[in-house]
Amino acid sequence: MTQNPLPLTDEQHAEIAALLPWYVNGTLDDSGRHRLDRHLDTCASCRADLQLDLQIHRRISSNPSVEFIPTKASLQRLNQSLDALSQEAPEPSRTLSNLRPAWRGGRPALFAAAAALIPLAVGMGVLGSNLWKPGDSRSPAPYRTVTTGEPHPADEVIRAVFAPSITISEMQSILDEAGLRIVAGPSAAGVYSLAATSEKPVDASLALLRAHVAVRFAESTQPSPAGPP
Amino acid sequence: MSPVPRPSTQHSDARSLAAIADGDRQALESLYLAYHRRLARFLSRFTSQYETVEEIINDTFLTVWTGAREFRHASQVSTWIFGIAYRTTLKALRRQKQHALVDPLDACGEPGSDPSELADVRDWLSQGLARLSAEQRLTVELAYHMGYSVEEIAEITAVPVGTVKARMFHAREKLRRHLPELRGYGPDEE
Repeated sequence: MTQNPLPLTDEQHAEIAALLPWYVNGTLDDSGRHRLDRHLDTCASCRADLQLDLQIHRRISSNPSVEFIPTKASLQRLNQSLDALSQEAPEPSRTLSNLRPAWRGGRPALFAAAAALIPLAVGMGVLGSNLWKPGDSRSPAPYRTVTTGEPHPADEVIRAVFAPSITISEMQSILDEAGLRIVAGPSAAGVYSLAATSEKPVDASLALLRAHVAVRFAESTQPSPAGPP
Repeated sequence: MSPVPRPSTQHSDARSLAAIADGDRQALESLYLAYHRRLARFLSRFTSQYETVEEIINDTFLTVWTGAREFRHASQVSTWIFGIAYRTTLKALRRQKQHALVDPLDACGEPGSDPSELADVRDWLSQGLARLSAEQRLTVELAYHMGYSVEEIAEITAVPVGTVKARMFHAREKLRRHLPELRGYGPDEE
């Protein structure tokens, strides 16, 4: 089946073919890349394998528009775990044996309570370090209403709060349907700033959000066309 | 494309790790924030549940906290941290006895693609990935999703380069069997 005019043994061929995943992800050094380039010119089997690798790479490397971002609560939970650890071993030589992460089966009540409050994810890489500063994690977040406090991103059209149990897939589906994307958030109160990705009227997007049980709150930040009564 | 950090980042990471070894929690928080996004991106391939992602990341950084003094600069800090995350994830996957805690591929859309074709490929890939061993699945994700070189994956997974290649070879063979048309021939020619 393999049409390979090069005088390669099966072992040599397998050695070159094994480099294909890293040829596709761009991490082969020049020597390996040139070697594979030459081999692909003459090996139909590896050219077919390359198509498979490109398909896999394209699917796996495609970035979802919703990403996990640490919240202030994330750091609080890390510090709580460190506190528990330091009670067992004051110095950082420390042992993990007495700590039992929740994913191992049991779920500490403190974690469960905190997790229930956590906003899920945020997208597009517009956020990050300005959400909070390292070291302030022990300070309780000041109470804010959804509509006051932090400045709005310029392209924000809607602010929303999602159910804490929402998954990436569910959130992505809701945002896609409503023609929205995340531009900031979650805030300490779990509020996401959403911008439009289509010509859909903001009111229509708002109605779609409000129709979902996983959307706990949604409001337009656009001024009313009619103005105040 | 390889996620090798820039030299300035490497130095910064090394300084943070030295401070962590001295018990500096703020240094740990800084490193946590610096790596959370990348680790979460990796872990989100195995679960769409934020709580699970965060638990594994927290466990990883607890190990960073306890093990910072043992870091000997034989590898980059980023590779060391991903190695810890790899082992933590591996344990979680083995404990779950499945290789995707929740299928995350539904979250990956590609605007402009034919929806039916995309669904077919996604379905094929989901099924194929679910059939891989935990080590094979992690190797595939480290290469295709995170863009690590074969040498970096060998460091992260603490196995020889040849083992990484062998895991990838067997993973691709399993995946290939699930979508023969992408190989350019039908199943009857296999």
